[in-house]
Amino acid sequence: MKAKSVLIAITLSALGACTNVSQGGYYWGAYSPTYFEMVKNPSEETEAKRLEALTDIIDTSLEQDLRVPPGVYAERGMMYLEQDQALAMRDFQAEMESYPESKPFIERIVSRYTNQ
Amino acid sequence: MSLIKRLSVVISFCLIASCETLETKQEAFPSFYDENRNPVSMVIVPAINQTAAADAGELVSATLAQPFADNGYYVLPLPIVSQIFQAEGVVDGQQTLGLSGELFQRVFGADTVLYVTVDQWETNYVILAANVTVGMSYVLRSTDTDEVLWSYRAQQVVDTSADSSGFILADIIMTAVQTAVTDYLPIAYQVNSMAVATLPYGKYHPLVGADGEAGVISARLKQEAVDELGQ
Repeated sequence: MKAKSVLIAITLSALGACTNVSQGGYYWGAYSPTYFEMVKNPSEETEAKRLEALTDIIDTSLEQDLRVPPGVYAERGMMYLEQDQALAMRDFQAEMESYPESKPFIERIVSRYTNQ
Repeated sequence: MSLIKRLSVVISFCLIASCETLETKQEAFPSFYDENRNPVSMVIVPAINQTAAADAGELVSATLAQPFADNGYYVLPLPIVSQIFQAEGVVDGQQTLGLSGELFQRVFGADTVLYVTVDQWETNYVILAANVTVGMSYVLRSTDTDEVLWSYRAQQVVDTSADSSGFILADIIMTAVQTAVTDYLPIAYQVNSMAVATLPYGKYHPLVGADGEAGVISARLKQEAVDELGQ
């Protein structure tokens, strides 16, 4: 078990050489700065930037075979809710698949905010 | 070794270490290494702001998801969580202190609740010197048993004093300028890192369970955070 962990750690550090992978094994991209901007200056522009950043995180993670960080799919799902419920549902599903412990919460959001 | 020699070694060690009790992660936070009790998910309530800076709480709240997620925990999506709290009129974590773990479980389905208190967010001027100080306390509580699983207090002081130019007025101005432009955020990130370094790895971390012997954790700082929350 320990050898496996060491191997995983080594693989991750090797991966780190390709992209900005954190020690927890995630690609965060512009997660923090875009969140700040959105909180400090809520506007269509900062929201659009946020959506862009989330999509970048998801796409890059899938490309690099990394797990998408907690909450990223769910947050994008919330942003898609108004325009396209199908897209939103796909993201919520993905969140629950990546993180089974998110199920109670995601199911709650889905029933609260959609007509599913 | 003679008694006197032994005594003096103990005394000098005590003086050096300020009689700090230092523990490893497993000694300080045993529940994480128990398969039946180790938490997987956490809901982070809005930061408790005890400073004079009105926006400190909001700013700090925005920094928390990443470091805790990186430590291997499923952190519930912060923007959605804060929307829910806001809808209930909760803007400061202080308002949630009386709530039972059972309620958090029901609403969020999370194993734990994280309370972060910002108690220092300030610039200090002392004659020609200045510094920016950020201090925060973190308490992680189980929603099952309401017990505190992890706690820590961390603080970072950044010296923003100007290098002496030989001209006092210039020094004072330079210090003021450097202090004014010092962004609190990077310091907040550092404080988060210092605290999270004491937190055992969670389920999603590559090295989960292997860090029991790691960490030099001050029992005093661990207790200070709990005392500060007053629970």
